[in-house]
Amino acid sequence: MKNEILETKDGLFTVTVMVNGEKKELPVRNSESLLDALRRHGWKGTKKGCDTGDCGSCTVILNGRPVLGCLTPAVTAHNGEITTIEGLGSVHEPHPLQEAFVEAGAVQCGFCIPGMILSSKHLLDNNPMPTEAEIRKALDGNLCRCTGYVKQVEAVKKAAAKMARGRKK
Amino acid sequence: MPEFIAKPASLKELWKQLPSLPASRRYLAGGTDLVTADNAGAETSECWVDIGDLPELNGVRETSSAVFIGSAVKVSELERSAPVRKWCPVLLAAVPHFASPSLRNMATLGGNAANASPCADGVCALVAEDACVSLALGGKRRRLPLKDLFSGPKRTALKKDELILGFEVPKRPHTGAYLKLGPRARFGISKAAVALAAELSGRRLTRAAVALGSVAPVPLYAARTSEWLAGRTLSAETAAAAASLVMSEVSPITDARSEAAYRREMCGVLLSRALESLAA
Repeated sequence: MKNEILETKDGLFTVTVMVNGEKKELPVRNSESLLDALRRHGWKGTKKGCDTGDCGSCTVILNGRPVLGCLTPAVTAHNGEITTIEGLGSVHEPHPLQEAFVEAGAVQCGFCIPGMILSSKHLLDNNPMPTEAEIRKALDGNLCRCTGYVKQVEAVKKAAAKMARGRKK
Repeated sequence: MPEFIAKPASLKELWKQLPSLPASRRYLAGGTDLVTADNAGAETSECWVDIGDLPELNGVRETSSAVFIGSAVKVSELERSAPVRKWCPVLLAAVPHFASPSLRNMATLGGNAANASPCADGVCALVAEDACVSLALGGKRRRLPLKDLFSGPKRTALKKDELILGFEVPKRPHTGAYLKLGPRARFGISKAAVALAAELSGRRLTRAAVALGSVAPVPLYAARTSEWLAGRTLSAETAAAAASLVMSEVSPITDARSEAAYRREMCGVLLSRALESLAA
């Protein structure tokens, strides 16, 4: 890179990115998707489903908006801020959305859930008390082959209520 | 994806860089069409030039007579843009039909036009909005009606390296509708889509523009139907007559998504529903 101008050639390019609040310098292949680069560097919560932009399981939040990792060339994320599912919570300290998905029984095989939760997080960050129609619209594009969507919608409602209670305390 | 991705910081830098880049090159904006084509083996350029963040292609501006929408504006930004909300009702109505929320955060109207798919929802809506497209190649600028940009499926009048700067939608009080028939209510490629822009004086259509997606080799401006509608009063009879006229104007094909006869029929149904929605 020179003068903030990205020019990749011959193999690897090092992108500077904030991943889940931490600054990282990641060597990525010029021809690699953000999804593959994140997984190769250990953020395996980002799932590779269709790799064609249809299923939503590779959703990450890039510069404040959910995008599909499989259709984003990794080098274009240079200087960007990324949130993956690992940035939300842990097994011992889950994010309210993660708790709500478990409580509502919204998780079966779990493969679509990181994408679902990141799409939901973006929704609740911008609209803390969404209507059911707004939840369905936000999750449009996150496909689930197990549960049929009812439980996920319920989970987002539960999480919104939990987070509202959290704010009142 | 190609081994070489260049990202100029400004338009000036872009024109300076281009001659030194491999001859086999394409512009990259949101990547939703280009990366998909690449994954499918249909895109084999040696170099992509990332124009997604060029300041000259971003932002929505209002002039005294038009709304200018930069070609790299993300589709999801349109919903939040005050000038688009005020002056582009058809485009606004098309946004929820455009792919999925995450794809709308990536995809751009410029890419939607450059890709020149007959099913492009954003383009179909912009054609009904009577948009012009602004193009640049080095210092040379030109402007043409968006409907004239397309010469066939995935074919445009764009010259090599010519860049879409943005779209101008004339500011005029009008209303509109965008109705799409796909495999499901949302997140699907259309079998047929109808965009209708209308200027109304009471129940009288003083002006109308009808554009259709997925039923011709290009995003189709239905000139005869649009002209016929001007001056008519909204009624069931008008809707029925416009529906049969539009069915004679489209040239759908049978493919993996639908059948020609069904698509033709649905153009009539969607247009008549769009006209009814104005009357309501």
